[in-house]
Amino acid sequence: MNHFRKMAYPYVAWISVMVVAPMLLIVMYAFIQKSNDVTTFRFTLSNFIRFFSENVYTDVLKRSLYVAVLTTIICLLLGYPAAYIIAMAKPKRKGLMVLLITFPTWINMLVRTYAWLGILQDDGIINSLLTAIGIGPVKMIYTDFAVVLGMVYNFIPFMILQIYAALDKMDKSYIEAASDLGANKVQCFMKVTFPMSLPGVISGITLVFLPAVSSFFIPKLLGGGQYVLIGNVIETQFLTAGDWNFGSAISLIMAVIIMISLYITRKLDTDVTEAKGGRL
Amino acid sequence: MKKILPVLLGSVMLLSACGSSSSSAPAEDPVEKYGSDTLKLFTWGEYLGEDVIQNFEKEYGVNVIVEYFDSNEMMYTKLSAGDAYDVIVPSDYMIQRLIGEDMLQPIDKSLIPNMDLLTDGVKNLAFDPDNEYSVPYFWGTVGLVYNKENVPQELIEEQGFDILKNTDYAGRIYMYDSERDSFMVAFKSLGYSMNTDNDAEIEEAYQWLIDLDKTMDPAYVTDEVIDNMMNGTKDIAVVYSGDATVILDENEDMGFYMPEKGTNVWCDSMCIPANAENPLLAHEFINYMLTEEAAYDNTITVGYASTNDAVLKAVASEEYADNEAYLPRENHEGDEVFEDNEVIRQKLSQLWLKVKAN
Repeated sequence: MNHFRKMAYPYVAWISVMVVAPMLLIVMYAFIQKSNDVTTFRFTLSNFIRFFSENVYTDVLKRSLYVAVLTTIICLLLGYPAAYIIAMAKPKRKGLMVLLITFPTWINMLVRTYAWLGILQDDGIINSLLTAIGIGPVKMIYTDFAVVLGMVYNFIPFMILQIYAALDKMDKSYIEAASDLGANKVQCFMKVTFPMSLPGVISGITLVFLPAVSSFFIPKLLGGGQYVLIGNVIETQFLTAGDWNFGSAISLIMAVIIMISLYITRKLDTDVTEAKGGRL
Repeated sequence: MKKILPVLLGSVMLLSACGSSSSSAPAEDPVEKYGSDTLKLFTWGEYLGEDVIQNFEKEYGVNVIVEYFDSNEMMYTKLSAGDAYDVIVPSDYMIQRLIGEDMLQPIDKSLIPNMDLLTDGVKNLAFDPDNEYSVPYFWGTVGLVYNKENVPQELIEEQGFDILKNTDYAGRIYMYDSERDSFMVAFKSLGYSMNTDNDAEIEEAYQWLIDLDKTMDPAYVTDEVIDNMMNGTKDIAVVYSGDATVILDENEDMGFYMPEKGTNVWCDSMCIPANAENPLLAHEFINYMLTEEAAYDNTITVGYASTNDAVLKAVASEEYADNEAYLPRENHEGDEVFEDNEVIRQKLSQLWLKVKAN
């Protein structure tokens, strides 16, 4: 087996250059003082203190987490039934249904989000229809609704596919066994199907929550300039404010939050698996 | 000045204008004459005439690779990362900064005889007093586009930028989403210079914007303002004069007003970066862009004011005779060009973020 090890070298090189080095740079930037002089490094915590001492930034962080959690919950509530229907469908239909779910992702995310702009606009398609039938225009663009809609729309395939994969590889005889032993349909689902799909649910939550919490162009396009999430704050620091140190510090704070949430979800995952006697 | 959509799309599929260099063979081999037959142009999205690039390619037997940016800062970031372009089209303050950082090379005016065709209003502006490094491409002002049906002309003339805080129009206004333009509006409204570095004045402008944010429910937009004002979605918007030209052209209910207290006069100019691989062809390209033929195509397609004097005057008195936004205002007291001050700009950028996140 040992000679296979050498095959990992290219990956190690790739990861060191593309992942580890940039991460180290971010960590370095986050802890040094802003200066144009590359030769003087001065260690400081001021970037972090600044973030947590100003209400503006912590409010933005709270709002970002709120939007991301809301997006994840909605994706789960909408995505689970969809995944369930696909998993329980006839094999021939499954392929088609999975294709339909992934189909929109073939088109670039930015372009699809831009399309929503036209749909939700004050004089867009939906509002033209509403005006025609007399309900009058409803303000949709540049609201929480538009941003959460844009995120759910973009990220729900990740949720559906993860849950579908878990449900699909589940052995259906467990359900039959449960109903033979007298469980009704609700009990079958609650005691057998749902627990067995949990690993899929957890990885789905991870895959939706991560992009949702750091997305910056969906709030920018659908929320308008006044809808500031943490991704937009980081973007501003790098692109216009030119404060790479503060930007790096915020990125690092986000990385820590994400690592903590990954740790929690992984813990949940192993707890669930262990509770079932190490299966799956 | 800023077109985001083509830049977004451009990042999906890197557009390169593929010229057929074999079609009508030019008199001389471009490789012999210029050292290369490829020119790399880095400019704003939607900033070129329909046929300008193809015509240049055909005439000189070269290929032009066009890349787009949507902000000066984005352009600067790419340039300072070492990307080599032959011609870039930054704005006034950014040119000043690039000159200061030795990132541009001087223009050899003997290679650009068409410099004589420039209109007076764009010559020798403060950011490059002798046009040593930059050749003006488009120029204009910033003003208010308003719906003449809903906003009386006398009122906007009386209040200027202050109308943006008139609560009769709460929820009916668009502000421009950039620290530069939003703070310019506040400074001008308060009667200060938009290039101020006085902390008290900056604080006052910041409060002005916070106040506007709280009382007026404004939408902060960039290029969406063009489509939205064409459709009459809201009543008042802060708009670049070039974009205003396009809006007024499409929707005759809309008017354009440049506040009496003064506004921003801007100028986007063609420059040759210090690390350009093909400066000779770059000079040829700049010279070509100043010709009447190219300048006319550019200004008619884009709607921004031409820097070619003859074209500017012809278009202002014919195609855009009824369009008050086309011809920029010259020598008005209170009008200013942005000066580069990185420290102040970054400060404003942080403050603007706070206004929005508030």
